[in-house]
Amino acid sequence: MSTQTPAEHDLATLIVDSLHLEQLSAAQIDPEAPLFGGELGLDSIDALEIALAVSRHYGIHLRADHPDNRRIFGSLRALAQHIARERAAQAA
Amino acid sequence: MSGGTWQGRDEGGGWFALWLIRFIGLHAGRRPARLLLGPVTLYFFLRRGPERRASRDYLRRALGRPARLRERLRHFHAFAATTLDRVFLLAQGERGFVFEISGLDALLQALADGRGALLVGAHVGSFEALRALAGRAPQVRLRLVLDRQQTPALNGLLEALAPDLRGQVIDAARGPLAVLLAMGEAARAGALLALLGDRTRAGEAALEAPLLGAPAPFPLAPWRIAAVLGVPVLLGCAQYRGHGRYHLRFQLLASRIELPRAPQARQAALAACVARYAAELEALLRENPYDWFNFYDFWQAPPSAAAAAGDPAAGAAAADGPRG
Repeated sequence: MSTQTPAEHDLATLIVDSLHLEQLSAAQIDPEAPLFGGELGLDSIDALEIALAVSRHYGIHLRADHPDNRRIFGSLRALAQHIARERAAQAA
Repeated sequence: MSGGTWQGRDEGGGWFALWLIRFIGLHAGRRPARLLLGPVTLYFFLRRGPERRASRDYLRRALGRPARLRERLRHFHAFAATTLDRVFLLAQGERGFVFEISGLDALLQALADGRGALLVGAHVGSFEALRALAGRAPQVRLRLVLDRQQTPALNGLLEALAPDLRGQVIDAARGPLAVLLAMGEAARAGALLALLGDRTRAGEAALEAPLLGAPAPFPLAPWRIAAVLGVPVLLGCAQYRGHGRYHLRFQLLASRIELPRAPQARQAALAACVARYAAELEALLRENPYDWFNFYDFWQAPPSAAAAAGDPAAGAAAADGPRG
């Protein structure tokens, strides 16, 4: 598994905390593995919970009509990159 | 998928009957159209064997005895009449209809703090007639979560009649992720999110609850969504009272759903939600048995999640799972 960047670890911690994934530590989430429908056993309602947590924690709104949602929610890495881009866009 | 579940059945009537209902209804008016309901009812009753048997089985449970022929025809007639009424409701508004409404205070109270609420309906009476709420409480922003693909012909027709409808609908066919994010956005805007909580899709997470004397599977998605959104949950149905009369019923099921972390306690909490919903549905059906529009073996467990690939959260809010 590839190593998490600090931003990915931060996001993984948020995911583990908000979904109460007690059997899993943030560091165990493979940044390139599928977040949903894969080994983590997460589904789309978990995705909603993550989106709400991301909105509270980072102030980033993950839009329902974003054309790239499937990719954005595809992995920890993709989601962290999207959040970073959105935050940069907000700060600019 | 086997033909025994609801997803395996095509739309009752198909294009021709819908066209006929629309043509006659809109050109000749509602009264002549209603006269046709008799023959239309009889046609479907004779042609649709599986639905006929499902109706008979359901009525036996609801009435506590074998249903008589006229009761079985009345069940089919109620379905045909509410289908026709949908067309008129959307094409011509509430003209000619009478709506009674109960529980509006509970509904407005649930929406009062502006964080939205979830209205869980069922295939009981007319889900579409809930739109009449707009006339009584225009401040309520109603968003219906519907799977357009499940009844494409009917939805195409309804949308042709009422183009502004599209904006009110969150189309479950967009896929679970987009639908759930859209529900989150609507809740944040203080909307009343309405979805149907009775039918379980193949592969969807479900738990059984007693309904009319026997356990039946109910989807868990509505209750999990309400817990995630932190919104109140209400039961909402528009009971059909015959001849264009509907009784809109709203009642609070939970001001907030808290799901414990531990898996067993979590399952128990979800089971309690489902049981409460089933009990309230049963009460509505005991009042008006002909309102039940699930013409398939509702008590049969759908294929298990293990047997079908797909998002276990699909169902109430999704449509990219397997279909019949």
